[in-house]
Amino acid sequence: MRNRLIKPVDQDYYEYLRDESRAMGSAESISFPKSLSDVISIVQEMNRKGIPVTIQGARTGLAAGAVPYGGHVLNLSGMDRVLGMRFSQEGRFYVTCEAGVVLSRLNKMIESKKFNVTSWNSGAKAALQELTVAKEQFFSPDPTETSATIGGMVANNASGARSYLYGSTRDHVTALRVVLCNGETLLLRRGDISASGRTISIMTEQGSNIETQLPSYIMPKTKNAAGYFIEDDMDAIDLFIGSGGTLGIITEIELELLQKPMVIWGVNCCFEDEKCAIDFVQAVRTKMKNIAALEFYDGSSLEVLRRQKAENPAFSKLRTVDKRLSSVVYVELHCENEECAIDNLKEIAAQMKISGAKMEDTFVARTESDRDSLYFFRHAIPESVNMLIDQRRLDNPVIRKLAADMSVPDRYLSDIMDMYRSGLEKYHLESAIWGHMGDNHLHVNILPKSTSDYEKGKALYQKWSSEVSKYGGAVSAEHGIGKLKTDQLALMYGAEHIEEMRQLKVAFDPKGLLCPGNFFTLEGGGDK
Amino acid sequence: MKIAVCIKQVPSTNEVSMDPATNTIIRDSRQSVTNPFDTYALEQAVQLKEKLGGEVVAISMGIPGTERLLRDAESRGADKAVLLTDREFAGADTLATSYTLALGIKQLGDVDLILCGKMAVDGDTAQIGPELAEQLGIPHATDVCEIMEAGPKQILCRKNTDWGTMVLRIQLPALLTVSKDINLPRLPSIPGVLFGLTAPFEIKDAITLEADPGRIGLTGSPTQVVNTYVMQRRSEAQSIEGEPASQADKIKKLIKELL
Repeated sequence: MRNRLIKPVDQDYYEYLRDESRAMGSAESISFPKSLSDVISIVQEMNRKGIPVTIQGARTGLAAGAVPYGGHVLNLSGMDRVLGMRFSQEGRFYVTCEAGVVLSRLNKMIESKKFNVTSWNSGAKAALQELTVAKEQFFSPDPTETSATIGGMVANNASGARSYLYGSTRDHVTALRVVLCNGETLLLRRGDISASGRTISIMTEQGSNIETQLPSYIMPKTKNAAGYFIEDDMDAIDLFIGSGGTLGIITEIELELLQKPMVIWGVNCCFEDEKCAIDFVQAVRTKMKNIAALEFYDGSSLEVLRRQKAENPAFSKLRTVDKRLSSVVYVELHCENEECAIDNLKEIAAQMKISGAKMEDTFVARTESDRDSLYFFRHAIPESVNMLIDQRRLDNPVIRKLAADMSVPDRYLSDIMDMYRSGLEKYHLESAIWGHMGDNHLHVNILPKSTSDYEKGKALYQKWSSEVSKYGGAVSAEHGIGKLKTDQLALMYGAEHIEEMRQLKVAFDPKGLLCPGNFFTLEGGGDK
Repeated sequence: MKIAVCIKQVPSTNEVSMDPATNTIIRDSRQSVTNPFDTYALEQAVQLKEKLGGEVVAISMGIPGTERLLRDAESRGADKAVLLTDREFAGADTLATSYTLALGIKQLGDVDLILCGKMAVDGDTAQIGPELAEQLGIPHATDVCEIMEAGPKQILCRKNTDWGTMVLRIQLPALLTVSKDINLPRLPSIPGVLFGLTAPFEIKDAITLEADPGRIGLTGSPTQVVNTYVMQRRSEAQSIEGEPASQADKIKKLIKELL
């Protein structure tokens, strides 16, 4: 019988062939399941016919993980119900939602403590009662794109500025329901199933057992979103978090909430010299414990903002900084009370002085609207850079923004900044650098003006990937490998480990039908 | 130039919840904030002080908790702050409030200019500025979006009106209420925040102000809130299909049903 959920991809669905990376794919059919049983029926049909399935959420990814390379598109955005809530004896709250729930909507529900409880059981409703009287809670992962779905965030192990203190999405996922390529399901609860060394054995809810060897690589000891999470004796749930949809379809997620700090203050600290900003970051991250986010914007980023403000009325309320200042470090303080926050401000002032900067060159946001203005400042940088590139692409469609997303261990922060600067200078490339300096994770954006710039930029980017791998870093700390960074993953781990990853995938997806092209291809080397 | 800036504490959210039994705003755990329009008045005052010299005083009539917002104003450039607070002030309408503020401002000495936001985002009356000017017997202009010239004796300013732009030359002392177009309020620096913690701050009650008991608080308020209610809004989307003419008919019918 023909599955009525499956529709041919005609003009109406073309937007589902691309994502925020702006890469364009192709597909023959698409579906928008509403429930777990919908997903199972679609996947079973695709499995029977041997048709590849690309999983999508809100398509906000930057590495083309949701861009289909032929076959079927399984778009989970219609599975957007919050299914329930749990309150543990330790006083923690857990929310269970479907994969298609959008982050901004979930955040709003948690903040307002208002949920649609129609389908909730009495236990879940009781937990909501507890929440209503409890201190404010929050879900800490904060990727810039709040229209991301929770399923997408888990598949990619998304992070954000506050991951500096709270960790990435992985650290807040306590249970998953996963549909495998044959329609069987896994219920993975953190702490239930662990690997024995590098061998893992998982039983489906239908009773089939999957036992496989895990890859033998050692992951970089940095913020990392490159390839499978693998560790000795690891929890089975971690295998699926950040797996880029290559092992199974995540349909339900249980998330742990955290108690919201009483005081959240943001400070933009401005520096006349980039080196001083780096010194400051290195000092405060060892000395200060209340920092939740430690971000950096370089001089070119600040100049892009000044131009944007001057030329675009939509950015007229942007608070740009004086031309004298060449770098900004954003520090977000999460404290239990104002006294603690004041002490932290004093420490920031002291450290700025030691680093050769002036405490007068700071902007402190203590209210929500002031914080919003600093977030606007931060988000305006990628937005403005994208607008700039779009403008250049009108004249030369070949060029694209080249954005590095690499991280290294703490001790190499200055080294990679030197590496980026000398490379950009050597090839005379325009750039804008911003991102999570606290995690030694900078988004180095190369802004090509010509095809030749673009080619030079690509070569430089490849060179940086090798260098970062030598420093024990990750080629992608946040955006994931998807389809665009498979070469870099191969550089980071080498062909042998890519082959091990391939074997791992085959254990869960023997025909290689799920998200083909993500991380690696099923045959051949580690490249595309 | 001595400039007084009026500050009001308002709820921090647009989604104000009303208690249906008492018709009062339910104040949840979310903190109150400075009325957004007042932040523009403060910024303008600080810019004028930076240009002409002098002093900026932030003043508010409110509950003791308003101290936090006045100290915030000091972190953003006000030199000192005065809070008019007394149980007797409770329940004041705009007349009683402007009377009380006028007493407070008179005690500041020779104030050259008073700046207010054009209105508060909770009450939305836009009456305090003009009423305060009348209480003090000085000229005023509302909804000012630009200060074109400022000197010790007079100010040239511009305001947008429904029918165009009006440029006014106004003799000091005077009162202006300002709109959001006038500037971009600054964020405090770390030294600013630290100054706010210990900056001069004065509390004045009805006795200190030598207020006429019949003109303050509920007693001094000829207007009373008889009833408040939350507008019931409903939104739904309908897809209307068919030929353009029949679609238009259906839309017409829908509008008629709603009117």
